[in-house]
Amino acid sequence: MKSYEDWQRLQELFELALNTPEAERASELETAGADPQLRARILQMVQGVEHEASVAGEAPACDGRRLGACTLLRLIDTGGMGAVYLAERLIGGVPQRVALKVLAPRFAAASFLERFRREQHILASLEHTHITRLLDAGVGQDGEPYLVMEYVEGTHIDRYCDARHLDVSARIGLLIEVAEAIAYAHRNLIVHLDLKPSNILVTEAGVVKVLDFGASKLLAPDQGGTTTLMATPAYAAPEQLRGEVVTTACDIYSLGAVLFYLLSGGRVESNSLPVAIENALREREPQALGSGVDIDAAMVRGVSPARLRQILRGDIGTIVGKCLRPRGRERYTSVDALLQDLRRYLEGRPVLARPHTGAYLLGKYVRRHRLGVTAGALILMTVLSTLLYAGWRQQQAVREGQRALAMQSFVYRLFKVANAKYTGKPAATVPEFLQLGARLVSQFIKDPYDLRRAQLGLAESMLENDDLAAARALFNDVATSARVAGDVSALVEAEAFGGNAAYLQGDEREGEQRTARALALAADSAVPIAVRVWAETFYAWNRDNNGYRTQENLELLQRAATQARASHLPAREVADVLYNLASDVELRGDLARSEALLRQALDAYGADPTTLCDRSKVLGDLAWNAQMAGNLAKSLPLYQQAYAGYAECSGPDSRGALSEREFLAGALTRLGRGGEGYELMRNALPLWRRLDGTTPDFAEPLNFMTLAELATRRYAAAEGHAREMVEVQTGKVDPQDRRFGMSHLLWAEALVGQGRNADALPHARIAAQLLARNAVSPGARQAGRDAQELLTKIQSDPPPAGATAP
Amino acid sequence: MADGEITTLLREWRDGKPQAIDRLFEAVYPRLREIAGALFRGESLEQMLQPTGVVNELFLKLVQQRTLRFEDREHFYSLSARLMRRVLIDHARARRSQKRDGGTAVPLEERLAWIEADDVDLLDLDRALDELDALDSRKCHMAEMRFFLGFSAEETAQLLCVSKATVDRELRFVRGWMFERLRRSGP
Repeated sequence: MKSYEDWQRLQELFELALNTPEAERASELETAGADPQLRARILQMVQGVEHEASVAGEAPACDGRRLGACTLLRLIDTGGMGAVYLAERLIGGVPQRVALKVLAPRFAAASFLERFRREQHILASLEHTHITRLLDAGVGQDGEPYLVMEYVEGTHIDRYCDARHLDVSARIGLLIEVAEAIAYAHRNLIVHLDLKPSNILVTEAGVVKVLDFGASKLLAPDQGGTTTLMATPAYAAPEQLRGEVVTTACDIYSLGAVLFYLLSGGRVESNSLPVAIENALREREPQALGSGVDIDAAMVRGVSPARLRQILRGDIGTIVGKCLRPRGRERYTSVDALLQDLRRYLEGRPVLARPHTGAYLLGKYVRRHRLGVTAGALILMTVLSTLLYAGWRQQQAVREGQRALAMQSFVYRLFKVANAKYTGKPAATVPEFLQLGARLVSQFIKDPYDLRRAQLGLAESMLENDDLAAARALFNDVATSARVAGDVSALVEAEAFGGNAAYLQGDEREGEQRTARALALAADSAVPIAVRVWAETFYAWNRDNNGYRTQENLELLQRAATQARASHLPAREVADVLYNLASDVELRGDLARSEALLRQALDAYGADPTTLCDRSKVLGDLAWNAQMAGNLAKSLPLYQQAYAGYAECSGPDSRGALSEREFLAGALTRLGRGGEGYELMRNALPLWRRLDGTTPDFAEPLNFMTLAELATRRYAAAEGHAREMVEVQTGKVDPQDRRFGMSHLLWAEALVGQGRNADALPHARIAAQLLARNAVSPGARQAGRDAQELLTKIQSDPPPAGATAP
Repeated sequence: MADGEITTLLREWRDGKPQAIDRLFEAVYPRLREIAGALFRGESLEQMLQPTGVVNELFLKLVQQRTLRFEDREHFYSLSARLMRRVLIDHARARRSQKRDGGTAVPLEERLAWIEADDVDLLDLDRALDELDALDSRKCHMAEMRFFLGFSAEETAQLLCVSKATVDRELRFVRGWMFERLRRSGP
């Protein structure tokens, strides 16, 4: 048996014996030429393998074993992490059927039980048709941790689909139920992190039940550990495999991977951890859905392979592909967005997974949010993102378990309280909800350091929602507490943002004092770069916009921009700073440089759908820049993009969208397309009237309306609107202001259009006088020339009979 | 270790320079040893204790540090399996006197559990594996990965670039061979 040939032969004979019925083995081996010694040896080998198989086939015995309040009944399933039993749980004398998952002792981190107690109320609160609840947890006598879950009789989702030969639509329908469960959990701050077909059951009645919610959280190692090793490679997000911080985007990836498997029968990623890790590190693009379809896969889906490939390469392939992007930020922004696309797909409507249109989904969300619509989930998400945003700012805040937990518990309670009778009525709007949060937060977050950060998050969210008074009050509280405690970082943040809020409320003096204080303290090394950048920006930008246009401001903003970039702050913050810098450069008349900065800001905002409003703002500024430089043709598409962007992100009736729309109308009118300009303004004007009708700001939309009316020879209407322009400004705007000049110019043109030159003359005079002065931009100089020309023309024309000169 | 040094050493080892393994030990062994020690003490570490997990984590770390190249994945895992075997056998040797007094079972992959049940000395297993290595080193690597690192047949197949059916077939043979071999040398 020493030679290679012998070794080969041993293997061949062993295979032969294995594939021969036991009774005939000896004779078969003899026929094959094995001597008695070799025969005995091979029979021993076969016996060993078969013995092993019989040992392995035995289910671990139950015989009434007890774990806590549970008596084990029978083994249901075994998996990588442990065994699942059907068990009976006795609570208050009532037996209840439960599923009990016993894990290998190695899963019992020292903090397992402590963690369970902390998480319990959140996990137990997950009540959803498609979620099996975690009821209890404990550690057995041998140190083996166990989880007690609702018992569900069902089949793994993939087997369920194949056994019933479900078609593609029916499979998507089931995944929608899974995604609904995940979306619900995300709203409750629970991520699943181990979604895979074997964790999704379908009952006989066809109802989906997702298992193991919260398990990953209970079992995950504490700080510094990695969840890489917990994940099932074929369904885990690349960042999970790389051991990075996990987020809801991981679940979106896993949903995509499960859907990939359900639809094509192939796995998106190898189930081998090293291979999967390698692909994750290389950020390898996933294969396309439908690339590996075979006949079997097609048959259990009731179509031909060619047809299945065709289906999977269509929109559904795009949807799955968007879930499976290697980088989390390129995936759907939420499970809700994915759900919407899946539903659209089933309804045969175009899906939104295409790169830039993904923003549409978020736009809808923001739109509703701006209007303060009451939708529990929506509000919760707002607060969540606020808190997480604050934490993310502090870089480390949310990542620490305790702190995150306090936040979670706070948000969870807040949500309950907001819906209950605490205030006599449910919180109906985002500002109300945030104010309630500000009142309650100190009861849930006891650590003063954490409390200040949570309050800053709430206050910044109030600011975003234009609840300036509440935001200022809360920033004041934080500043006071931070000063006493010597918490410089929170103090600077509170003063900078509080100062900005004061400026926004028109309280220039307080705004300047507070932003100056923030700036002075920002040099402290305890202050995170992000906060320092904000302190510099708020100080300089507000001063610039309130008449102190100094070189120092510009330098501060430049420094803030450089710092933001060099310290790799989130792209969005870098973009914000660049935008502020650009607008200050523009104020100084340097259009070329301002344009370059705006383009940089646009790049920095990237394609992230949450920045659509910001990008639209930048596009609007770029358009204005081009218009100021006298290049109307260039500004037109920019205005169009800005308008479309705002219409998506904050709604077609929002101030942002209306504003870009009037500028677009103005540009169209000037380019000789007055008909289109008129149409755009005609519908917008009533909306403006509702927003600003009694303020001098209403003159602006009136201006664009009048221009369009003049261009389309609607002189009588133009006269009315020009008169209204003058009226809304009278008594509120300096009578020498250029704006009056513009109004009178249009009024004069409207009258001339009607052949009433004599009536037009006094208006033309005022216009020529006011517009001749202080013309900075080419547009303004042009207006001055127009007024002078009109005046000359009226004066040279003979007045018609009946008209009187003033 | 310097960039790529593990890679170089791994290649030397595979090319038949046994002294390379000692240098590799310096980089990899202490970590495995630490984990194995915790395993035996029955401690609940905050981290995962599964050898697969430990080795994957180490692999990930080395690759991220660029001490190791992806291309040497197979060598790395083969080596780790060999080292893990050494750790476990060393431990068994050290504890030999305490065996069967309620002490510690060596945590082999469960499918080898019957060897223990049959009261076969782990040191015999070690010797048998040496013999297997001499006869067919590929099978030995395969067995080590499967039984000492706890890789699934699918993972083993992917690492060695063979089909799962091949791994199943070859390991079935190894188990049969091992059973017979240990029976012969057993008590």
